[in-house]
Amino acid sequence: MGLPHHSLNTLRPLSEGELNEWEEAYAAVEAYLQALRLRNRLLVAELVRGILWRASARRVNEPDKPARFLAMEEALSEVAEWTQDVLDVPLENRRLAARGRLALLLAGMPGHWQGVFLTPAPWPPEFVDAMKKSYLAAGPRFAELTMVPKPLEFNAIGSGAAQWWETMDRRPIMGFMFTGVIISLIAVIVWYFLLD
Amino acid sequence: MDNSQTPARETTKPFFGGFRTFLRRTIFFGGVLIVNIAASLWLTDLFWLMGFQKAHYPLLVIFIILNGLLTLGSFHAIFGAIDMLLGRKQSVRISKLADGKTGPLEKRHAVVMPVYNEDSVKTCARIEAIYRSIEATGNLDSFDFFILSDTRDLNLWVMEETSWTNLCRQLGGFGRIYYRRRKTNENRKAGNIGDFVRTWGGNYESMLVLDADSLMDGADIVKMTRIMEAYPRLGILQTPPKLIRGSSVFTRLQQFAMRLYGPLFIRGLNFWQLMGGSYWGHNALIRVQPFSEFCELPALPGREPFGGRILSHDFVEAALMVSQGWEVWLAWDIEGTFEEAPPTLVDHLIRDRRWCQGNLQHMWLIFARKLPFSVRMHLFMGIMAYLGSPVWFLFLALGTWVAWDRARSDLSQLPFENYAARWFDINGVQQSLILTGVIFGLLFLPKILAVIGGLLTPSIRRSFGGGFRIIFGAIFETIVSMLLAPCIMVAHTLMVLSIIAGRAVGWGNQNRETDGTSWGDAFRFHAPQTILGIAWTGVAVTIGYTSKNPAGFVSKYAFVLWMTPILLGLLLAAPVSVWTSRTRYGKALLKHKLLATPEEISPPSVMTLADNATAAVDSALDASVEGRIGVVAAVVDPYVNGVHVSLLEHSELTAADEALAERCLSEGPGGLSKNELSELLYLAPAMLMMHRAVWLRSTEGIHSVWTQAVESYRRRLDHTPHAESN
Repeated sequence: MGLPHHSLNTLRPLSEGELNEWEEAYAAVEAYLQALRLRNRLLVAELVRGILWRASARRVNEPDKPARFLAMEEALSEVAEWTQDVLDVPLENRRLAARGRLALLLAGMPGHWQGVFLTPAPWPPEFVDAMKKSYLAAGPRFAELTMVPKPLEFNAIGSGAAQWWETMDRRPIMGFMFTGVIISLIAVIVWYFLLD
Repeated sequence: MDNSQTPARETTKPFFGGFRTFLRRTIFFGGVLIVNIAASLWLTDLFWLMGFQKAHYPLLVIFIILNGLLTLGSFHAIFGAIDMLLGRKQSVRISKLADGKTGPLEKRHAVVMPVYNEDSVKTCARIEAIYRSIEATGNLDSFDFFILSDTRDLNLWVMEETSWTNLCRQLGGFGRIYYRRRKTNENRKAGNIGDFVRTWGGNYESMLVLDADSLMDGADIVKMTRIMEAYPRLGILQTPPKLIRGSSVFTRLQQFAMRLYGPLFIRGLNFWQLMGGSYWGHNALIRVQPFSEFCELPALPGREPFGGRILSHDFVEAALMVSQGWEVWLAWDIEGTFEEAPPTLVDHLIRDRRWCQGNLQHMWLIFARKLPFSVRMHLFMGIMAYLGSPVWFLFLALGTWVAWDRARSDLSQLPFENYAARWFDINGVQQSLILTGVIFGLLFLPKILAVIGGLLTPSIRRSFGGGFRIIFGAIFETIVSMLLAPCIMVAHTLMVLSIIAGRAVGWGNQNRETDGTSWGDAFRFHAPQTILGIAWTGVAVTIGYTSKNPAGFVSKYAFVLWMTPILLGLLLAAPVSVWTSRTRYGKALLKHKLLATPEEISPPSVMTLADNATAAVDSALDASVEGRIGVVAAVVDPYVNGVHVSLLEHSELTAADEALAERCLSEGPGGLSKNELSELLYLAPAMLMMHRAVWLRSTEGIHSVWTQAVESYRRRLDHTPHAESN
């Protein structure tokens, strides 16, 4: 990890374009730390400087990669490795890195443990304990029950209606005829009771 | 879970005897029948003396149906009042099984809240209040909480995850409050609950089913679980929820009416339904094992809207439970049970469209075998709650026709000598006035009884803010209800017709002003009522105009005057809908404690807990910040991404998934279809890859939505950090 006393000489001399490139890298790393809800500017500035120092060191061997890319890769891997060290479990795949990141939140890093963030061991035991206890439980143990629908048993009227209804569903012509009969019936009733 | 409950159930004595149940039901429904027969004979006599027209026959049949329904409603209030007068000790109260019981609960219980595109902060506030309220009783260890999400809005999905995480963080609720989202929302709420039961139900003796707007007091929840543990025959324990937090005039009217008149109906309902009660879908405790065994919903014959999947599941689940010998009780004396209501008439009618279809489907169950009387009665009442409207409409239309026909043919509208004249020494006019008085009496009796009860009982009077406020509220509510009723009648009639035609009603989107329904929306939604009102008024005036018999303005236009409440309701549908939707008028009423409910004047502790609940809100984990809402936050924000990915199942990133993620990066979430975006949100490796990409890559090659979201974290020099401090 880069520390404040580390020189940024590896970067120099910088052209105008390179200055802009590192400015962008700085902004991105700073934004990421702020996204992790680090509020203290001094702390953020110190961490950004360290991360950029490591990125600049890598730049010597990887000149084709943009400064932002190198800096952010350093920032992400540093957070992942550090949480791995605190949790003392291997973050075997990237999903576990996300869980490590989440553990920071659940342990209250943005609130109480900002000063500890990305610092070397030893860490306060309360913080380590809080990190290790932080987990997300997706659900309690499964205890399955079966739910099987039982068909409705109809009486004679219901059975007849169900049969007729399903027949109309299967054969639209029957439905059409049925609707016609109903409308005719209504017309007859209206005529008989109202108009006759 | 073993099946030892059934033997325990069979060896336990019923809470209320069979003979006494029969007696109560005979008295109740016998009374309804007698009053209905008497009123129908009275009307028949009138018709006979007026000279029977053919149109009088269907009019009479419809009157018998409508008067039966009206009498049924009034008898609930009458018997409720009698039950109240007899006193708490005399009335049937299942809750007494928990009286005096303290000590720890013996079994585990779940509190389940199904949610569908809800405001997650409000939902979690209710869970927090219930959680803290149960915690205060010292029984928290016996409960687990489940937020069961069927949410289809992807942004809201992410917000639910963050709200739940914050809630658990603040309450120490990990391992006690769970969040689960279904990938497909098959069979809606019933399917959501069913999925819970199938997956985790075996862990619990019972589940308290809530709605997203439900709120319940912890002590009452514990009391309910004690009843469930004490009485093995109990399948469902339903509570009568009170409406709360009404801010518009419409909801304030509803909550006032339900609060003042509701207890009478609830007690009256309990008088006859007893162990054969119903389930209203929420704020009820359900024994899980018999629910899983018997309550999976059967398919109905044919297709929707009448067939297919059952839309209104609750009544049917109660019916299935009762038909299998399990008891369903209404715990009328559980006080701490609340829910919220739709804020406007338009919202109310939109919800009614779904309920209407669901209740009409229940017609099939009327013809099912092995259903007890009480179940069929509940189903019938549910059906008639909507089918009653077209019947009312038909009654009024037929009445108008008869008046039109008589005016045209110069027949008298008034009866002559009849049996009543001979036997009771009253003329036809008096007879018709008496019948009208009886009908109006039946209509207003529940309100009158409730107001008298409220005025004579000091505790009730004080709880509503005094006698004047009760009287004012009841009169005001009655007037507005009379204006709203014709509008609702026509809306329900159109719903029923659209369902019969096999179509869904096209309500469209709800475009609202900040303060309720807009005028444009109101006129669009209520156009049928307004047009019908104009036409009907024209017909009514014409009837008076063409009538040659009576002299004088009032006599000539008696029909118009008689129809005035209906016609005014139709003509003023849109203005009344707009006016009642306004929260500023609602707040003005509240300021003077008008239409106030006891819960407003003296809020119960659980409501205060919910009002003060903030555990779900934390700036450290927030997926609702402008510029990075929901899906964007799930990709960009390190913590939101962490929560979302941690809740996903493990999967491998395929080339196709990677291509989809690259498309999302370059085109933004808006470039993907909803299904594609949903699929992407389920892929943990893709979400992680995107998180890295938006931070690693410069502005070229990725959509501005991501770069702007990344940029939004940069603190400006003039930015104060207080907003983000915890």
